[in-house]
Amino acid sequence: MKANRLQSKRIGLAILTLLMLVAVLLSLMVGVSHFTIGEIFSIIGQCFSAEGETSVADTVFWNLRMPRVVLCLLVGAALSVCGASYQSIFRNPLTDPYILGISSGASLGAAISILMGWESTLVGIGATALATALLTVLLIYKIASIGNRMHTSTLLLTGVCFTFLITAVISFLMVLNQDKMERIIFWTMGSFATASWSDVVAVAPCVVVGICVAIYYSKDLNLLLVGSETAKSLGVDVEKIKKHLLFFTTLMVAFAVSSCGVIGFVGLIVPHCIRLVVGPDNRLVIPYSIFVGGTFLLVCDTLARTVLQPAELPVGSITALAGAPMFIYLLYKSKKQL
Amino acid sequence: MIEVKNLSYAYGKKQILNDMSFGIAKGDFCAIMGPNGCGKTTLLKCIANLLPVKANTVFINGKDSTSYTIKMLARQIAFVPQHTPQDFEFSAFETVQMGRNPYQTHLQNESQKDWDIVEECMKQTNTWHLRFAPLSEMSGGEKQRVLLARALAQQTPIMLLDEPLSNLDISHQFEIIKLLRNISLNEKKTILLIVHDLNMAMRYCQSLLLLHNRNIVYHGDINKGLTPQNIKDYFGVDAIKENINNQPQIIYK
Repeated sequence: MKANRLQSKRIGLAILTLLMLVAVLLSLMVGVSHFTIGEIFSIIGQCFSAEGETSVADTVFWNLRMPRVVLCLLVGAALSVCGASYQSIFRNPLTDPYILGISSGASLGAAISILMGWESTLVGIGATALATALLTVLLIYKIASIGNRMHTSTLLLTGVCFTFLITAVISFLMVLNQDKMERIIFWTMGSFATASWSDVVAVAPCVVVGICVAIYYSKDLNLLLVGSETAKSLGVDVEKIKKHLLFFTTLMVAFAVSSCGVIGFVGLIVPHCIRLVVGPDNRLVIPYSIFVGGTFLLVCDTLARTVLQPAELPVGSITALAGAPMFIYLLYKSKKQL
Repeated sequence: MIEVKNLSYAYGKKQILNDMSFGIAKGDFCAIMGPNGCGKTTLLKCIANLLPVKANTVFINGKDSTSYTIKMLARQIAFVPQHTPQDFEFSAFETVQMGRNPYQTHLQNESQKDWDIVEECMKQTNTWHLRFAPLSEMSGGEKQRVLLARALAQQTPIMLLDEPLSNLDISHQFEIIKLLRNISLNEKKTILLIVHDLNMAMRYCQSLLLLHNRNIVYHGDINKGLTPQNIKDYFGVDAIKENINNQPQIIYK
């Protein structure tokens, strides 16, 4: 049984990596300017031979398409791992950074940083987004844990209220500063259109560290799922682990939102689909979420920029088209517990 | 084994436990009884350090319980709660496997030894055939046996159980309490459990810890403790005690 599980985990990860690579290749090929597989390999090959002049196609490939693909993978992985972690911490399959209002909290920070003129670096935006997102998490956690058990309805309503509140504050800020309106709207919609290597450089370290922390605590997350008291009686330092995880997952959300705005439902659908196949063990759900989440968001973004070419759809609308029905289904399934 | 000295506990301003002191010997099979709301569950959680108790009030193996790390304490005390949430569907096997957590580091997977212990504990509680079934699809008796197996897998000298017999039909009540008594006799584990059925407790348990109004009103042999007078005083019910088939039975008037 033991050897079996380890083996199937390896096979699963191999298949998912392969799928991800196929998605990356397809995504690099399609778009306003098409590349064939041969062209892609020759462009990548040129890079190593370090000779010949750079053409327009090279620039499109290296400075527009490539960073966009990498950023999609990073953000998709981050949001899915955060979703899986929040679901275990709040012991509720209906939560993700978007539904809990944490993404909105981060977008408020991003908006404030623009108004204050700190937007020159992504790190400046990220730090402000992290501060407001952490504040949101803290408030939601305090409100939702009043009483013994965290009720689904309390948690969801708290998230909805925070989203409304923050949207209202952002609208207010926008009206006061109409010259910067366009840039702020970007954070409330979610898009990879402006993805650049500097975004990747700012987001990647946070995502890597955050994912490592989530993997490190994945066994403890399983124990949190059977209740805080039981987890403690089984040797889990519940308060410490919750603090660490909430901080690092929120760090991931804050930098993801800073780079591409609010994208909903990724953290909800991806872990749920994985659980349907492999069960609730977070030692499988979290590693799988990295690959499935990255691939899912990449496919969504590729659809967003190709379906109505040359116009671009907000990627959030594609994830919502898949995610909202899933959310309603989950709500329907768990309505007895509400 | 367990030593409680001047333990008090309050939720906010509401005093639940008031200056309790008692000791539980190794290998005791002790019933905690008392009317609803007298602080039985709170007492159990204080002993297990699940509630923040003051230093030098609860001693496990002669050592202050607050000086243990959480993991080390989980190797001393196994706690079976009254309710287990099932929003996520872990199988029985995965549930019992969690009992091995106190012996593992964060990234460590289960060793062969862990798997053997899990199998043994599940066979002991007659749940091995249920190992692939999710907890949410089990009957009350099966679920209780799985949780018992998880507590056994912790391999602790002390087990605390919060109403393990509630929501079970009479045959499953007998099954669980006999299983617990065998564990206490064969493995010399110290077991404390909260029970409501006076006859069931009197028949199987060794000693009684009777709580009333935030205090311990009786601690000692269970047969001597459950007198008609005590039942009248602390539960407010008139009863007589009769010997039926050489077994003392409480009959309510």
